[in-house]
Order: sequence, then C-alpha cells, then structure tokens
Amino acid sequence: MSKMLLRNIIPLINSLRFMVERLTLQSSLGKRFLLDSTFMIDSKSINNELNLIDSVLDILNSNNKGLINKLQIKLMQIRDINGSVNRISRNMVMDDVELFEIKSFALISKEIYDLQKQSEIEIINIPDLSTIISILDPNKSNIPSFYIYDIYSADLAEVRNQIKIEKAKENADQHTLNNLHLKSEAIESSVREDLSKQIKEHITELLLAVNNIAHLDLIIAKAILAKEMSLTKPILSDNNWEYIEMFNPQIQDSLSKQKRQFQPVDINLNNSICFITGANMAGKTVILKTLALCQYLVQFGFFVPSQKAKIAIVNKIMISIGDEQSEEQGLSSFASEMLKINDMVAASQNKERVLILIDELARTTNPVEGRAIVNAVANIFLNNKTTSVITTHYSGLSKQCRKLRVKGLDKEIQPGIINKNNINDYIDYRLVEDEAGDVPHEALRIAQMLGINQNIIDGAKSELNK
Amino acid sequence: MPFVKDIENYKSLSIIGLEKNTGKTECLNYVLSRLSDSGKTIALTSIGIDGENKDQVKQTHKPEIDVYQGMIFVTSELHYKSRKLVSEILDVSKQSTSLGRLVTAKAITTDKVMISGPANNAGLIDIISNMSNFGVDITIVDGALSRKSLASPTVTEAIILATGAALSSNITQLVFKTKYVYDLIALSETENQTKEILFNIRDGIWAIDNNNNITDLNISSVMMIERVKDRLFEAGNRIYVSGAITDNFLNFLKNQKQIKETEIIVRDFTRIFAQPEVFYSYIKRGGKIKVLQKTKLVAITINPVSPDGYILNSEELKKALEEKLGLPVYDVKKITN
Repeated sequence: MSKMLLRNIIPLINSLRFMVERLTLQSSLGKRFLLDSTFMIDSKSINNELNLIDSVLDILNSNNKGLINKLQIKLMQIRDINGSVNRISRNMVMDDVELFEIKSFALISKEIYDLQKQSEIEIINIPDLSTIISILDPNKSNIPSFYIYDIYSADLAEVRNQIKIEKAKENADQHTLNNLHLKSEAIESSVREDLSKQIKEHITELLLAVNNIAHLDLIIAKAILAKEMSLTKPILSDNNWEYIEMFNPQIQDSLSKQKRQFQPVDINLNNSICFITGANMAGKTVILKTLALCQYLVQFGFFVPSQKAKIAIVNKIMISIGDEQSEEQGLSSFASEMLKINDMVAASQNKERVLILIDELARTTNPVEGRAIVNAVANIFLNNKTTSVITTHYSGLSKQCRKLRVKGLDKEIQPGIINKNNINDYIDYRLVEDEAGDVPHEALRIAQMLGINQNIIDGAKSELNK
Repeated sequence: MPFVKDIENYKSLSIIGLEKNTGKTECLNYVLSRLSDSGKTIALTSIGIDGENKDQVKQTHKPEIDVYQGMIFVTSELHYKSRKLVSEILDVSKQSTSLGRLVTAKAITTDKVMISGPANNAGLIDIISNMSNFGVDITIVDGALSRKSLASPTVTEAIILATGAALSSNITQLVFKTKYVYDLIALSETENQTKEILFNIRDGIWAIDNNNNITDLNISSVMMIERVKDRLFEAGNRIYVSGAITDNFLNFLKNQKQIKETEIIVRDFTRIFAQPEVFYSYIKRGGKIKVLQKTKLVAITINPVSPDGYILNSEELKKALEEKLGLPVYDVKKITN
C-alpha cells in the first residue's frame, strides 16, 4: 500500500483542513513537512510524536515558555534550502545566492541549537552545523551575509586589487579591465566549486538539520494548537475507543460565532458494529465526521478534540457520508454508495484493521429493501468483528447489533416554544444505549416546529392513522 | 551640488524619465555620485517591469548604474549574476519576479550593476521599509511611467523628473508636455477619510457619495463606462478609478451635465494616461481630479540632446521651464561634468 500523505487527506476532510489551517507554522520547510506527514499505523511512532507535543506543552506551561517564542522567531527566519541541498548531493556547484542561503540556514540552525543547549531543553536534536558555518564564514563575522571573500584565494585578492588600481587610473584600459574581470570570474568559479565540495562532505548533517528543524516547527505548532483548542493527548489502545466529551472544533467555532455552544458527546466503540439512531437534526452526521477527524488526527500525530480519549489504531479509515459528489463519475448516489459499501465489506471480510463510518446507509432507496441492506451489511461487520458505525432512520434493526440513540428533543417541551431558529438549543445531543430495535418517530414533530406547511403535517398524520 | 542637499531630507526618492533618453540614467548616476560621499547609507532599486511574456523580459534592457562601495542595492537574481562589482549578499526575497528572486547586496567595490526590482507597489513598499534593517538612510528608486507596470514611483516620498529633447525637439512643445506632468504631480490629495476607505481597493471603478459610502460600479475598466452611464451618478459624484484614466473616460465625463460636481480619484498621478489637451479641457469644464497618494517633486533635470542627435539650447530650455514651473531645473550633462 502506498503511503497516505496528509496533503491528500486535507481536501477530503473539512474539519481536518480547518485545524491544519490554524497551525502557526513559521517556515515553509515546516509547511512542507506537515503536508508530507504520513498516516502512521504503528503505535510507537504515534506515541513518539504525541510525546514530543506533550514535551512542548510542558514547556509552554512552565517558566521556560519564552523559549518557544524565541524558537518560533528563529524558525520564521529559516529558509527552504531543499533545492540547494538536492543540487549539492548531485555534485552540482552552488551559486552565490545558494551559498548565502545555506550559510543563513546554518547560522540560524546553530542559533536554535544554542537556544536548546542554553536552556538545557532538547525538544528535537538539531545537529551542530559549526563546520558548515566555518566554511562559509571564513572571517568569523557570524553575520548571515555572503560573497566570495578575498580570504578564499590569494590569487582572487590579487586580481581584485589589480582591478581597483586599473580603475583608479585616469585613462583606464578597457581591454585590461575586461581581462582582469574574466580572470576574477574564473577564480570565483573554482572557489564556488571547492566550497560546494566541502559542503557536500557534511550533507548528512545538513539534511538532518533541514528535517529536524521542519519537524520542530511542526511540533511547536501542534502543541500551540492543542493548547488553544483544548485538545487532549489520546491514549492508544488495542481494540477499543472511548471518547469523553468529544467535540468538533470547526462546528464549535461556527456556533460560537452565533454565540451558541457545541454540546460535547461521549461515545465508546469496540471491534464491532454500532448503530446510531436519532431524530433528524440530532447531530448523527457530526458524530461520524468527528470520529473520522479524531482518527485522522491521532494517526497524523495530533492531539484530539475531546476531554479524554482512548483510541485504537487502524490501517484505514473508510467513510461513506452522503454529501459527497458522485455525479462526476456519472453514478447515481445509490450506485456510488453501494460501490463504497462493497469495498468496506471486502475489507471487513478480509479482517482488515479498519474504522468504517457510514451515514444513513441505503437511504436513497425504498425503506423495505433499504432496511434489508442495512441489516445485511451490519451482520457482516458483526460477524467479522469490524469496528463500524452506521447511522440510520430505519426501524427493525438487527437485534444482535449494538445501538446508540441520540436523546434528541425533550418530550415535555410545550408546543410553541421551539421554532426553526432555536431548535438546536433544545436538542439533547447525548448518546444513550438503546435496547429497543425501534427508532424515534419525531420527523413530524420537528417538521412542525420548523414551520412546514400544516397541510403536509395533517396529511402525514392521517396517512399514519390509516 | 544642486538639489542633492534636498534629497537628504527624504527617506525615499524615485527618479522618473518622461521618455527614454531624457537623461534618467545620467541623473541617477549624478545623484548617486553626489550621495556617495554624503556619509549617508544609500540603497538603490528599481521598478520591475512585469514580464508576463518573454518578449517583455528581453526588452527589459536596463542601463547599468554606477554603484559605489558601501551602497546597498536590490536587483533580481538574473541581473545579480551578471554584475561586475564585488558585493556581499545580505538578503534574498522569498517571492520571485519574472527575473528571479530579489537579492539585496552591499557593494564591496565600485562598479556598474543592472538594477531591477519588484513588480508591484507592495513589493516596493516592503523593500523600502526593509532597508532600515540594513541601516539605510535613503532609498533611491529607478522609476518608470508605464501603463504596464503595477509598481508606481509615487510610493517614494519624493521624485525627480527627467525631461529633455527626446520628449520633443521643440522647446514650446517640450515645456508644454513637461508642464502637464508637473500639473499632474501637483494634483491634490483627497481627504484622509476617503483615502483610508479607498487605499486597499485595487480593482474596479467605484462611486463615492458625500457620506463616503462606496458602491462598486461593476465594470473592470474605464473603457466600459458607457455601459453604466444610466446609474453612474446615482451612488455619488466622486468616482474612484483603481486603474488607468484614459482620454475616452475624461471625454465622456466632461460631456455629462454633472461635470461641475464630478470628481475623479486615482491612486496617483502615474495612472493618468490622457492626452494633455483632453485633461485640460476636462478641468476647464469644471471637472476635478484628486489622488490618493501625492509625492514631493524635488527637481527637474533636462537633457538637451535627443537620441537622433538634435541638440536644444540648454540655457533657453532651462529658462523656459523655470519660468513656467517655478522650480529649479538642471542640465544633467552640465552638472555631471
């Protein structure tokens, strides 16, 4: 299986994009490192990354928090020298601008190295680039500026001096000057060649520094995001999920702009099928989307939006949420959904370690066959112990399958209080285990509150009473 | 050392030639040579030409400028590589122009360098403000009056205008054309509140009413003004044009019955590309034009020699211009000797 990169997932998961866009990355190296992050499937690498974030959070909560700010200021000045490093490793000769950039990178890298050393805190090891600095800073000025210094070549110094003398003459000879210029250019070229060779001898440290500085930038940004969004460090588990007060930062953000609050949800899952039922507008889709978000976040090495979280690692997250576009492939929504379900069932039957999330399975077909499909798929997941969540409005769900129901609207509320503007505030988004196989019949009640034409409501009611 | 003392009062200055071969390079070289022993740190850059297509890149032949030891200069990577002098790189921009990234360097020796710069105002403003990090006192910009360039020399505090025989071989014509640019530079600034509202609007044509409410007229250029003539003055008598002002536009406005209440607002004088006759007749009919950004004219230099070899009488030209403009005028050929 080819590596799954964050850059390919961001366009698919809106709430992941929302969070990634809020990372305070300082360098373009860090941005590239972020987008090239791989979906990790071993708990050791995930834990390593989470522990690094934790170590930065510790610093942010200590007297040393100024260090993080200092590091970010340095990271802001870091140049992306990937192109030059590639060229060096292919034995190419650097020009002055590239040598300047490598020198500037090495000096700032050294400053980051020193900052960590002085504070006796090492978040990530940054290799010591003193040798590269001494190659490019022969006058030991410690200033990030560069040219082919006279000190590199006695001949060059001599030619430059001759140019100066010739130009000072009242009737400077253009021919002599041109020859001197050509000569100095030739010497400069050989100096550049030599410098490039010398730097190549230290390419391993340089590459490590590029990688680790980018990583440092990302770790700091992830820690700051965790602090600002109140994310939590998840505990990795073998086969069960347990979220306490899970929330969706993107939806929370848009609600808070309307001066409303997001109601966190507790949910736990195991290696089996779990239905989520509940009235319309009860937030079933949001739960699925947030489960997907959290799973991606942890496997890309982020903290997750939850008060507490225990998460099992999977090899693949398989999602079918209805708002995706399928017209492009010329398929009906039913056909494209069925093809997706087919892949999921195949993964289940192969006993793959996957997390399957399906929103309103088979909702676009007739309820009789729809319910049959739902139960058939659920039974396959049940028998193969596949972790899966299916939301549905259908009744008559398979008895053996676990069911969670969103509590929804309080039955006691008097009519007239709720309307389409405040209905969200009256919904109880908590999940409860539901032993009965029936689903809530609240569609008409909610439609009425939304102010839908009374003829529809009355007509539907008499239809039901037939 | 005429007018160089004046320059020292400003943090940034651009030098603008009214035509090719009006002596802009001589003027620039003169200014730089005088400033080189002023004890001030000088930086030099240019307005880049936007090189969307290759021909434009080829045409960007920029004359080489004398850069003195210790001066800072900003030029593109391409021109940096072809320099003759020894210089130390201080910074390299992250954004790229059509000629590569912009390199900021300090001259170690004195020699000629081709200077190119950012392609838009934001880039130029960035460079000028960044110069203080290198201890620069005055930034000199090799300016240009070009419809193609998004960068305007008026982002500098002051300007010098270079005019001469290349613009016209007839003194009366030359004075008339130069006076026109002088009048454009003298256009007054709009009031602060309006300025703040309009400053960040870089697209379109907008109407502004007396309470500074702005309305997008939803046309991309003044060429399309006839399309909206029915609703042109409904949203206010002041019209802000983010792009260029043309003859057609002024001719159209001057024939409207609201002409006496009409006020055009442009970013700066370099956006006005109308013929002088059209401009003056718009003004005579009662129309007004104001700018968002005004800049101080420090001096006018003349080059009495035209590229085809015609030579005007320098004294006569100087006197004619000084009388008409009330500003000191200098012959670049004479002051450089």
